[in-house]
Amino acid sequence: MIYSWKKIVRYGLPLLTLCILIELFAGQILQSGQNALLKIPIYLISIPVINGVGGNIGCILGARLASGLHVGYINLDIRDKKMHENFLTSLLMGIITYAVLAILIYYIALFSRITMSIGLIEFVFVLLVVGTLLICVVTVISIFTAFLSFKYGKDPDDFIAPVVTTIGDSLGIIFLFLLIGVA
Amino acid sequence: MFAKEMLKQSLPLLILCGIGGVVAGSTLGVMTDLLENIPGLIVIIPAVIAMRGNISTTFGSRLGSAYHLGIINAEHIWNEELKQNVIGSLVLSFLVSITIGILAYVTTIVFFDISPNPVKIIIIVLIAGVISGAILTMLTIVIIFAVFKRGYDPDNITGPALATFGDIITMLSIFGSAIIVEVIL
Repeated sequence: MIYSWKKIVRYGLPLLTLCILIELFAGQILQSGQNALLKIPIYLISIPVINGVGGNIGCILGARLASGLHVGYINLDIRDKKMHENFLTSLLMGIITYAVLAILIYYIALFSRITMSIGLIEFVFVLLVVGTLLICVVTVISIFTAFLSFKYGKDPDDFIAPVVTTIGDSLGIIFLFLLIGVA
Repeated sequence: MFAKEMLKQSLPLLILCGIGGVVAGSTLGVMTDLLENIPGLIVIIPAVIAMRGNISTTFGSRLGSAYHLGIINAEHIWNEELKQNVIGSLVLSFLVSITIGILAYVTTIVFFDISPNPVKIIIIVLIAGVISGAILTMLTIVIIFAVFKRGYDPDNITGPALATFGDIITMLSIFGSAIIVEVIL
């Protein structure tokens, strides 16, 4: 037998505990802005979207870099052209995705009669700025995690997803609060 | 060339996962009264979602590897290897949920003047964590089984599928357990 539940728990627990510590920090930031969020619920609805898209893009980029490094078509070099191309495509995909979802969120909020004191253009603008900032940081973290873990002989696939999603969750909330002037 | 292929393959999935996020967010939007009445509830939300995502995606990718190694297949899906994986995921969900509850309570007291009801917070996380864990574990097995039957590679399907459904099921579980706890306690 290959798998045993005790091993799964023993290997999973330390990294998960570290992740939830950082996530609880994100939760405390949310708590500090809770009153403002409850007054403008459209931003409350946006939080899982902002964090989800940021994390997914970081993970896609990370998985591609990991495969590229393993196979050898990406070099451990900050000036690597293929890496730059991947970075720019991630940024482009992120902007398109945030724009589409921002419009969707706005109309869902409009139709479910959620109190709004904000226009479509302003809301899409806020989400695009937060999203672009988040993707820039998340992709840089993803590149560094991939390169560093590969350099020290570890498999990047084991590190990228937890690192990128955990740090991304806190930063997504911080960027949103900075932009809408909460906290 | 390179960029085009990446856009074509990833963008639809990204938007699909994002729609999952919109549904999860709308659930959060419906919970405003609960968030107001249960101090500390908002603190646990990112942690529970992250825990769920981590446990179920590692579960899914282990099953994917087990498939490639020939350890499980469509005829013999429910064997001892799968059972160990299921027990491992559920035990992890239980332990991490309790940890989230306790740490959320302690950090809220340290950072803010409000003191949440510790019993309420811990029970909400525990119910939400274990229920969403059980549902997502079953869902993963069903997805893997369906993917086997069609002969696809589970590695391409489980990740995005769990990312889309995971957040929705987790948010609904938090919503449900908060209502139950609010009514009973």
